Amino acid sequence: MKSTASFTINQIALAFMISMLIIVSLIGTFSIRQTSRVTQDLTRHSQEAAQSELSAAFNRLLHQTESQANALAQWDETRQQLVLPEFYTYWRDHRVYESSMQISQSAHAGLYNQAGTLLAPSPAIHNFPATLPSWAEQNQRSNWIANQAGIIYLFHAFPVESGEPQHALLGHGLIRFDLLAELLRQESFHFTDVGSIKVDLKPGEKLATQDLISHMQFKARPDPDQRQFQSILSNTLLALFIILATTSLLAFVVYNRLLQRPLKWLSDDIEAMQNGCFRQQSLHSQSLRVIELEKIRRSLYDYQLQLNKLHGSLESQNREFHSQARQDALTGCHNRRAYEEDWESFRSEIKSAPQGSAFLLFDCDRFKTINDTYGHAKGDRVLTLTADALKMALRANDRLYRLGGDEFGTFMSHTSPAQAKQIAHRCQNLVDAIGFGDLGILEPISISIGIAFCDADEIAHVDDLPKQADIAMYTAKQPGRSRVALYGEDTKRDSPTLVASRETSALFQALVAPGMIEMHYQPIHALPGRQVAYFEALARIRHNNELLLPEQYLPVVSSRRLEVEFDQAVLHQVGMDLSSGLYPEGLGVSINLSAQSIAHPDVMSHLMELSSHLQSHPLILEITETSLITQMLEVRNHLDVLRSVHFKIAMDDFGTGYSPLQYLVDLPVDVVKLDISLIQTLAQDNRAGQIVAHFARMMSEVGYSLVAEGVETEAVLHKVENLGITHVQGFLLGRPTPLAQLSALLPAPPLAISAG
Amino acid sequence: MSIPNAMRAYLICLLISVLPAWAHAAIVQLQVRPDIQASAEYLPGQRNKPAVLLLHGINQTRDFPTVAALARGLRDAGYPVLAPTLSLGIPNRTQSLACEAVHRYSLDDDIAELAHWVGWLKSQGHRSIVLVGHSFGSLQLLVYLDGHPDPAVKGFIGASLVETQIGNASRPALEAKLENLIKHHQRTLITQQMSYCKKYLSTPEAILSYVRWGQSRTLQALNRAPVSVQLIMGDADGMLGRTWIATLKNSKTPMVIVHNANHFMDGEHEFDLLDHTLKFLEHAQPAPVR
Repeated sequence: MKSTASFTINQIALAFMISMLIIVSLIGTFSIRQTSRVTQDLTRHSQEAAQSELSAAFNRLLHQTESQANALAQWDETRQQLVLPEFYTYWRDHRVYESSMQISQSAHAGLYNQAGTLLAPSPAIHNFPATLPSWAEQNQRSNWIANQAGIIYLFHAFPVESGEPQHALLGHGLIRFDLLAELLRQESFHFTDVGSIKVDLKPGEKLATQDLISHMQFKARPDPDQRQFQSILSNTLLALFIILATTSLLAFVVYNRLLQRPLKWLSDDIEAMQNGCFRQQSLHSQSLRVIELEKIRRSLYDYQLQLNKLHGSLESQNREFHSQARQDALTGCHNRRAYEEDWESFRSEIKSAPQGSAFLLFDCDRFKTINDTYGHAKGDRVLTLTADALKMALRANDRLYRLGGDEFGTFMSHTSPAQAKQIAHRCQNLVDAIGFGDLGILEPISISIGIAFCDADEIAHVDDLPKQADIAMYTAKQPGRSRVALYGEDTKRDSPTLVASRETSALFQALVAPGMIEMHYQPIHALPGRQVAYFEALARIRHNNELLLPEQYLPVVSSRRLEVEFDQAVLHQVGMDLSSGLYPEGLGVSINLSAQSIAHPDVMSHLMELSSHLQSHPLILEITETSLITQMLEVRNHLDVLRSVHFKIAMDDFGTGYSPLQYLVDLPVDVVKLDISLIQTLAQDNRAGQIVAHFARMMSEVGYSLVAEGVETEAVLHKVENLGITHVQGFLLGRPTPLAQLSALLPAPPLAISAG
Repeated sequence: MSIPNAMRAYLICLLISVLPAWAHAAIVQLQVRPDIQASAEYLPGQRNKPAVLLLHGINQTRDFPTVAALARGLRDAGYPVLAPTLSLGIPNRTQSLACEAVHRYSLDDDIAELAHWVGWLKSQGHRSIVLVGHSFGSLQLLVYLDGHPDPAVKGFIGASLVETQIGNASRPALEAKLENLIKHHQRTLITQQMSYCKKYLSTPEAILSYVRWGQSRTLQALNRAPVSVQLIMGDADGMLGRTWIATLKNSKTPMVIVHNANHFMDGEHEFDLLDHTLKFLEHAQPAPVR
């Protein structure tokens, strides 16, 4: 499911506000731009209107001037002056202005004779040209503009004729006036700023009237309507902006009060509910103004009440479930989960307040055999009784945990190694005192106890207690032990192999890389000729150019319960050796297997594959007797199958371990290998030696092929020979040898051993 | 000055051989002074009737209503009429001249122009000419008649005849002043009340030429007139001196008083003026037929 981004209601409100501001800003900017455009258009129109106005005014002035000139030209007194110019100056200075010619005071008129010469010199202020320009004479009528001493004058020259019918030219007239002053005097400008009107003409320069507009400089008069329009528009925009901003702010406040804040309350309440924190007060403290939100609030409130009831019920059930979840249903003691939780608390507590602490690990001896033999119901009963005894033996505040199967544990604070051992022994005694016979169990049932202790000054190693207790347990279970072992004190020999990372690492590497397992073959000699009868395959692990011997890695195999995997690796390597061609032709090989491996179907498959070598190499399977054979039926069936394909079965290390005679009875054994402890006993001339000798003769007589292990002296060899033992094995006759060197040990073709 | 020599006029309108001949008016121009032409309207009439030289008042033109109306009436009555506009020193003058204008002419100049026009009429074959003037034009014609007796001129009608009025000033003193100015060659413009002009602007010589014609000299000229004279005066003429009509009566000058007529004899008095003029013309010596 595609996830989408989530926003808070506050962010949405803020985004809305920002959007509103942006929209208002955009509208404002657009309006300002439009206003600016309108203003520019109005300004341009004003400028054009001003130009039109100015042009029209000038044209009117020009037309008026022409009318005045016409009137002057047709005026009798004008003609009089051209004929009788004696009193011309009076006409020029008075009559022109007193008459109805409508010549303004700022204008001046002058007359020129037919030759274009001024009738009388004009005053300096008039500054009339003494002679008319040639074009004025030729063109009859002409206008021009000139800058005289910084003042722009308009000149209009016109002909004066004698009248009808001759129209003879009498002379010329010239009108001159201050153009700008006359314009301003006669015209009312609505669009032109009269103060800005100028003519771009340098002093002394002249200009044709048609070119005047292009040389005029002026500014449009600010249009009051335009100003009012701009003012109204600006005020409107400002008011609109303020209204929008105020409305947005009010909307935000209303939105905040009516929606955002209630939603935040509801959200907080829902979040609190999610976190299991119920705040009844907040939900019904005040009603909300928005109907829909109020409905939600009421629904939430009702829902919360129901949840509270449900919560109370659940809490009660949880407490019960919690208790049940931490209790072992079978034994009533605490289970593995409780152990893990309590162990963490215990560790933290111990680390914060260092004190002497101990970890006790209990394991029911041979419980699986008992379980298999007497059934699960009785096995469960054994566990229940054992747990009751242990709980009774522990201190009042100590808890007993069932860690799995038949394994129990406890950890103690405020204790000492002696007290821990004392409690362990008390546990052992109480278990021993249980009447398991009432259950129909004949075998004695006991427990082994591994103890690990951590003093207050070594509290940093408290985490190692379970592992150390496990090692101590291994020690306690070793034959001949008191079944109570304290780590450190009782496990100095075993612990290195159990905890050594080198051997463990090598073993695990060898299991996944079979090439690391290297087989050495120790010859087994036939008596009395002492020729090599076959070899016993002894596994070594080559690790970092170093060979690890069985006493180094077997404890790891045993402690890690890796017998099946390890035996499979050995079978694989033996098969490789037999196929290599290096192994002496015709000689048999004996292979050590644990009873657990014999019962395992994969090992059986391996053995059946290995049976292909039986034609050239007799194969003997040595079953270690020290291990308790728990799956007797499967082992016996498998051994029968193997014997049917001509494997021979040997009972290894006979004389140690559990119920050897029972095994000889129950299992199809061909060869019995007397343990070195028994062989060494032969060297003693005492009753024990006699017992062993008699036992050996008896075994030989019933048909078992006997192999004496650990023959290291000639004296022992002689005794063995005398007892009728058919084969010997020991350093006296041959040490374990790598495959490549086997041929050197064989001066003569070997002889086949006989199974009977 | 002989008329053929002085006249360099040319006749624009054809008056002869068209009936009725007086139906055709024409503008006649004469070079009355160097560079100055003067014009007159000539209304041809019956050849057997005396021609009328009709002159306008001071500073006016032939288009002045009193004159124009009288000209049309005379023409309608079959009299040849020549109505000139005195140039007053202005080429082809067509407008009345303001009092404040520079008046560059004297009474002598006016008389000379009138002589040109009388000569022109005679050149047109009119052997019987009656001079009819209005207001100051009557004085000017009287002065011409006084100084230029001509057998062709058979009669004189002075309508609203007026002397040269100078207001309340003493005429001898004024004349003396003007003569003194002339004597000292002070050729300048001066202003003087003359006739209806409060500030008549002209040179001393020109003003003096008019000022000399007061009531007494006018009466003398009337009395000396070589032709039959008829004055037509309005008794409501405010332009005249209070005693002028009485003086005229006393002088035994033939005179018709138009009751309630003012100086211009306008309105209904135009007909009185015309009637009295026609009545005088009927009794005037008929023109000899060539």
